[in-house]
Order: sequence, then structure tokens, then C-alpha cells
Amino acid sequence: MPPSKAEVLQGTLDLIVLKTLDTLGPLHGYGIAQRVQQVSEDLLRLNQGTLYPALLRLEQRGWISSKWGVSENNRKARYYSLTKRGKKQLAAEAESWERMAAVIARLLAGAEGAP
Amino acid sequence: MNILRSLAMRLGSMFRKRKLDADLDAELRAHLDALAEANIRRGMSPEEARFAARRAFGGFEQTKSLYRDQRGLPFLEALVQDLRFGLRMLAKSPGFSAVAILTLALGIGGNTAIFSYIDAWFIEPLPFPHPDRLVIFETQDKKHGWTSGGVTSAADFFDFQKQNTSFEQTVAWTVANFNLTSDGSPELVEGGRVSCNYFDALAAKPILGRTFTAEDDRSGAPHVVILSGGLWQGRYAGDPKVIGRSISIGGEAYTVVGVMPGTFQFPLMGVANLWTPLALTDKQRADRGNVWIPAFGRLKPDVTLEQARAETATFFAHLEKEFPQTNANLTWLVSSMTDRIRTEEGGPEVMICFAIVGLVLLIACANVANLMLARATSRTKEFAVRGALGATGRRLARQLLTESVLLFLLGGVGGLLFGLWGMRWIESQIPGHIRAYIVNYGHVDLDFTTLAFTVGITLLCGLIFGLAPAFGSSRLDVNRTLKEASSQASGSSQSARMRRIFVAAEIALAVVVLISATLLVKSFIISVRSSPGFNPANVMTAQLTLPKTKYTQDSQLRNFSEEALARIRSLPGVVSASVASYVPFGGFGQGIEFEVVGRPLQPGERQGAPFTAVSRDYFSTMQIGLVKGRFFDSTDAYGSSTSVVVSQTMAGQLWPDEDPIGKKLQLGEQRTVGTIVGVVNDVKIYHLRQRRGWHIYVPMTQFPSRNLAYAVRTAGDATTMATAIRDAIWSVDRNQPVSSAPMETLIATVDAGNRVVTRLMVFFGTLAMFLGVIGIYGVMAHLVSQKIHEIGIRMALGASPAQVMRMVIGQGLKLALIGVAVGALAALGATRSLSTMLYQVAPNDPPTFIGVAILFAGVAAAACYVPARRAARLDPLVALRYE
Repeated sequence: MPPSKAEVLQGTLDLIVLKTLDTLGPLHGYGIAQRVQQVSEDLLRLNQGTLYPALLRLEQRGWISSKWGVSENNRKARYYSLTKRGKKQLAAEAESWERMAAVIARLLAGAEGAP
Repeated sequence: MNILRSLAMRLGSMFRKRKLDADLDAELRAHLDALAEANIRRGMSPEEARFAARRAFGGFEQTKSLYRDQRGLPFLEALVQDLRFGLRMLAKSPGFSAVAILTLALGIGGNTAIFSYIDAWFIEPLPFPHPDRLVIFETQDKKHGWTSGGVTSAADFFDFQKQNTSFEQTVAWTVANFNLTSDGSPELVEGGRVSCNYFDALAAKPILGRTFTAEDDRSGAPHVVILSGGLWQGRYAGDPKVIGRSISIGGEAYTVVGVMPGTFQFPLMGVANLWTPLALTDKQRADRGNVWIPAFGRLKPDVTLEQARAETATFFAHLEKEFPQTNANLTWLVSSMTDRIRTEEGGPEVMICFAIVGLVLLIACANVANLMLARATSRTKEFAVRGALGATGRRLARQLLTESVLLFLLGGVGGLLFGLWGMRWIESQIPGHIRAYIVNYGHVDLDFTTLAFTVGITLLCGLIFGLAPAFGSSRLDVNRTLKEASSQASGSSQSARMRRIFVAAEIALAVVVLISATLLVKSFIISVRSSPGFNPANVMTAQLTLPKTKYTQDSQLRNFSEEALARIRSLPGVVSASVASYVPFGGFGQGIEFEVVGRPLQPGERQGAPFTAVSRDYFSTMQIGLVKGRFFDSTDAYGSSTSVVVSQTMAGQLWPDEDPIGKKLQLGEQRTVGTIVGVVNDVKIYHLRQRRGWHIYVPMTQFPSRNLAYAVRTAGDATTMATAIRDAIWSVDRNQPVSSAPMETLIATVDAGNRVVTRLMVFFGTLAMFLGVIGIYGVMAHLVSQKIHEIGIRMALGASPAQVMRMVIGQGLKLALIGVAVGALAALGATRSLSTMLYQVAPNDPPTFIGVAILFAGVAAAACYVPARRAARLDPLVALRYE
């Protein structure tokens, strides 16, 4: 049995995509998918297709914008980039994520330490 | 912000679907290609690489579908889809659509038209500021329970005006006829005499000049007049310099001080072309015995109606002690003016019509729901296929619901058009003289409330009645339906039962409507056919009022009336001519108080009867029958002893066991003693539905009258004589306005309200019956087409065509009879509320009930006959093979 891979939650996926675009700059859907897999070291299971509705949702909210361009190997590709509002959103979400993670971590630590 | 923005993007994307779809496709393919290339670089074969890429990517089409849902507004898209499909379905069966839309249009339109009147009467506030603070006063006898019908005595009014603390304003007013003699041909116009605060209390502002002052309202003050907008525009051609002008009314000079806007209307007064101050003399102001002045008041803002009533009660308890002779048992009834106006003209009639059209709409809806159910059953296959292709039950139900709401909306549009036409039609049926008594002159508009009502009932009915077929189809068993060989044998028994219930209910409702309508129509016909007590055919009337200023002496009045009568009598074509102080249906009559000699009245007790002074030939001209004694003759001359003729009912009630001839009455304030010389049959004077009443006639020679009503029986058509009669009167005095009308027109005008209601009843009653028939026909036709197989088997096994026919008609008739029985029972309860509007017809009139029941059974049988014959003529071989 391969180790079970975590399903990607919607909110998490948003955060991952925003952070990816923040780190790497404008990127096409394939690039984002590769990056996600690379960073998660294949621990996250992601049907790469599900990325696209998520990208559209982020765009509709005005956090990312898209533009057609040409990829490294001379293919037509749609490039996504972070907007100003997206940057703000990333900061806010990262912060709330960290706070959440800290709470969970404390909780788990407490549970272990309990008699 | 975010929500709005994404909504806008989603909405926008719906209009560029093709381009966006192509983009998405390109993007996703690029992704797959890139994945595959990477796999090849890792050493896979091209085929393996593509396969792995697909796997990593997940469902290609699912992604696209998810993406599209995120991109657009799936709910809206489905709605548009449903609407487009719905329209296509409607266009596909134009017969069904036309019947359904027309049915709904008639139902909804009827409701719109009637509701516009409900709105104007019962919902819209009166067109005065703070109408809730306006109340009317009327004298009420606590002991005997009668009210005076909106009037009070002058002294009571002025005392109350002086002493009360509850009212901002108290206003007395009365109607009067004014004889305009200057500026063009003489014209008799209706108007009002009002206390000086009349316009202030109604918060009405003049468009020119001023309203009345307390100075104007004194007896003997210089005469002033305020014109209505209509009279000013008409007779005075909208002259802006009319203020200050002197006009002649009844021979006296009046100065115009103001002009009111044309929209100003006080429904209780009705027609008002001009107003003069009440200006009562001191003697009139001190009169406590005569109860004749209409009065109303405006409450102070902080005083409630209950407080005002309490104060009024205390005040009148006090008056009762002080003036027992006149005020014993009397008090004031203080009631809301809004309520009074709403019940005055046509209110109950409108409510009845509203109830009837409501029922008709229910019938129409049931009918359409039925048609839709029938269609839904014949579309079962279609729905099964859709279900098999992945449509959920909810999705199918939603589509059916959309279709039915669409159908109802189209019906609603038709209903609005029909309703607008209906509103104009009803308005055109209201006779001019009644209009002034109706809020906003009986004019109604498709205002916001009415529009909202129409849209509301349309959607409500669409949802409720659309749910039935939608509900049925959402529980479809796909497997079973698809497996069934015949497309005909389908249709769940549940839906069939629902349809039968609908039809029975529809017939029951139609029976209620038809019975109510028949009762109203029947009582209208009875009242129209009933004799008014005289023969109105070929009688022309001409009415005028002689002015006090010019005709000061009784002898002048006598001379005028006799001179004019002689000239009319000599006209060619006149069979006989007479003059009276009042003719039946001729407007406001006159009453007189009297006492039977030898039977003195108790203090505070009063006795009165309508009173008419007539010329000798009056009874013979009007063809009023003599019951006993004699008519007036040449012996009843001026100066001889007073003779009286009374009506049959009066004689019978006053002297049940005695001969009335020779009995004596004391008449009026002068207590003139008159001897009864004759008894004539009862005559209706106000309306055709009037009960038999008392009436006192006296000779005009002995009681000269300022109000003259000539009644002329002509050889031919009365209308052709109008001008000749008027000219004969004008040959005596050119300055007196004459209003002439055939007697039959006077009667018809008085009865106009009932006529409108009756026509509406005929229309809606017929409509209800047609809808009921269509309903039962539809169900039976559908039943036969569904049972063709069964009928084929029966015939193959030896059933004769006659037996088949009997079976089909029997099934239809059973439904109809259940409906008729339920309807008749419901009608027994419902028609009780009609009783006040019925004339000589009982609310449970057996012939009506039986007749309608038989009629319905008959038309139902006829409606079943067509499908039954089709069933009987089936060739069993064809029927068995029929799919």
C-alpha cells in the first residue's frame, strides 16, 4: 500500500497557488502544477485538471490575472501572475494559516504531554 | 465587492462562450502535451507517455465541466435553457398553448379589472390629507335603532360646533340645484351649499381666488360663489379673469371668488359644479326639529375616534334632557368617512364581482393544470429518456415548473391587456351622474398596486398549479417507463386521479359561479320586468325649478305650471300631459311629516312619507291604477278643502280594517288638514328593487310647487318630443333651464349599477361554464386515447359500440355529477352572502339550483359524447395494434 496522499482542500490550494506565483513570478498552469508536486514531494495528491477551475476562481476574485504568452518551448500558453490584491490576500491567508498551524501544533503538543 | 466583481465576470462570460471554450481547450491541451513531453523525456514511449499524462491530469471533460460551472452562472444558464425549451414546447403544440394562454388571460384579466376597482375603493386612501381623521355625523335614534342616513338638525350641529373639543373642524353642507341664467343658455346645475370651513376641512386649495370666509357664511351677506374646475372650463371657457365677475344664479347676482381644481371631489356630495355658502338665517340655525343637514368633522391630531364618540355621547345626553320634545332618544353616530364612502356606491357589488372572478381564475388555473397534466403524461417517455441521460428528478421537475410558470406569464401578459380593456369597459358603463359619487370619478388606472397584484397572482398560480405536473414527473420510474412497450399505456394512476379531482373541483367551482351569476341575473331581470307601478313607455319628462327671486308668489307658480301644461298639451303627438312636484326616478324627492287626525303621536315620535303635488291628469297620464275612491278632479281647486290621495300600502297599514276614504291627515308644519279621497297603487320612486311604500299625493292647485316635473305621454317615440316640450316651456319663460329625459332612461340610469354587475355576471358565468366543459372534455378525450387498448380488447370480446359509449359517458358523467353535487352544496353556503343584492329571489332559489345542475349534467354529457363516439367507432383490430 502506498502511503495515503492527502486530498488538497480548496483553501489550501488557493494558498499554494498564490504562494507559488509569488515566489516564481508569472507561470502557466502546467508550471504551477509541477511546482506544487515538486514542493509537496508528491505527498499531496492533485488531479492537475482541478487546478484550472481554481485558477479561474482566483482570477474572478481579482487575486491573479492571466495573459496569453509563449512558453519556454515555444508553445502558446496562458500565464498567470499575482495582482496587488492577490499579494495582500496571500499575506492575510499566510498569516491565518500560520496562526492556525500554531494552534494545532500547541494542541497536539498538549495532548502528548498530558498524563 | 468580490462577489459583485465575480458575478459581473461570470455574467459577462455567458456571452462569449465559444471563444472562452476554445481558450480553455487550448490551455488544457497544452498542459497535457507538456505532461506527455516530460514523460517522454523520462523515457516512456509516446503512447505510454500520453496515457500517463491523462492519468495525472484527471478527467479531461469533468475538468471542463467544472471549469464552465465556475465560469458562468449555472442556475441562470439552466433557466435560460429551460425557458428556451419551454417556448419550443409551447410552439410545438399551438392548440394547447392557445387554449391555456387564452383561458389564463381571461381569468387573470378579469381579476385585474375588478381588482383595480377594489384598489380604488378599499385600498387607496381618500384623496384628502389624513383621511383617517375625517368622520361623518348623523342623528341616531337610540331607542328605535334608526339612523338618519347622514343628516342632523341645524341647531344640534351648531351647538356641537361651538362646544366640542375633539374636532379641528366641523362642517355642514347640503346639495342644491342652481339655475345659471347669465352667460349663455339657462342651465340647471347641481352644486353644494357649504359652511365656510368646508374646503379647509378637506384641505382643498383653489386654483384661482380664495375659499369662503366666516363673513361670507352669514345670512344676508353679499352673495359669493366658487366654481368647480369643470364648470369654469366649460361655461366660462377657463377665463382667468373670472374672479370678481358677477354671475346670475336663479336671478340673483353672485360674485365669483374662487375656482377649485377639476380634480377636487367630495364623493358624498357627488356632482358639484359650484358652491355657495350655507348662510343659514338665525331661525334656520335654531331649528332642532328638522333633521336635514349632512355634516362631517376633522378630528384633532391627538384625539381618537373613541374619545370623540365619548364626548359626543355626553353632549347629546345633555341635549336630550334640555330638549326632550325634539331630542328624546337622539344622539349622533360618529363614523369613519372612509368607511361610509366605501359602502356608499357599488362597494358590495365590487366585492361580489371580486369573489366571482376569483373563482373563475381558480377554474381557469385548474383547467390549465389539467391540460398540463395530460401533456405531462403523454410526455412520460421524453422524461424517461432525459432521466436515463442523467437528468435528475429535481432538474426535470424544475423544467416542468419553468414551463408552467412561462405559460402563466404569457397568460398574465394577455390578462393585463384584457384587464386594461375590462377596466375601460366597466368605467364606460358607469353612468355619468353616479361617477361623481365614486372615488376618483370611477376612473381606475393600472397603478402599481394593481400591477403588483396581477404579477403576484400570475406567479402564485403558476407556481401552485405548475407544481402538480412537476411533482408527478419528478418521481418517474425511468426503468419501468422505458420498458413499457406502448407509449400510450403509460401515465401513472396517481396523475390520472389528480386530473379527475381537478375536473370535479373545477366543475364544482363553475357550478358555484354559475348559480351565483344566475341568481343575480334572475333578480335583475325580475326587477327590470317588475312594474314600477306606472307605465314608463312613451313618457317624456321635463324638469325645472322656478327661482325664488322671480317667482315670489304662489299664484305665479300656479300660473306658470298651468300655462306651460296647457301649451304642452296642445302639442301634436301628445296623448296626455301632467305636471307634478316630482316624477319617479327624477332625482331627490320630497317627504312630508304627518299625523292621522284622532291618533296623536307620542312626544319625539315622527311619521312621514314621500310627498308629491300633482296636477289632475297625473295618475291617468302615468297610468297609475286607482284602487279606491277617486283621482283628483276639478273640484280640488285652489281655495276648496284639501284633498289627499294615498298609496295602497299606506292605506292598508294605517287602516287595515277600515275604509281609508274620508279619513283626515294633518300635513307638514302648517298642519294643513286634508281628507283622503282616493287610494292608488304603489309606485316605485327611487329604484326598481324598492319595497312597497307609503306615498302622499296632493293637488298642485292647493300645494303650488317650485319644482316642476312634466310627465307627457306621447303617441310615438317619446324622445322625439323632447325639444318640442322644452320649447313649449320656454315659450312661457325663456330663462328657465329644463332637463328632459324619457321616463325609461331615468329608470335605466338609476339601475345602471345593477346592469353592469349583471353583464359581468353573464360574462363570467358563461366563461366558468365553458371552462368546466373544456375541462371535462379534455379529461375524457385523454382518457379515451389512453384506453384505446382496453377498449379494443373489450370490443374484441364482444362489447357493442353502444356499451363502450355508455361506459365512457358514464365515467365522465360520474365526475360531472360529483362536481355538480359538491358545487351545489358549496353554493348553498356561498349564495347567502348575496342575499342583500337579490330582489325577489331567495339565495337558495330551487329552480336556479336545479336548472344549473341539469344544465351542467347536460353539457358534461355532451362534452363526453365526442370522445365516447370516437371510442365506439374504433375498429378493434386497429385498437389492439394501436401504440
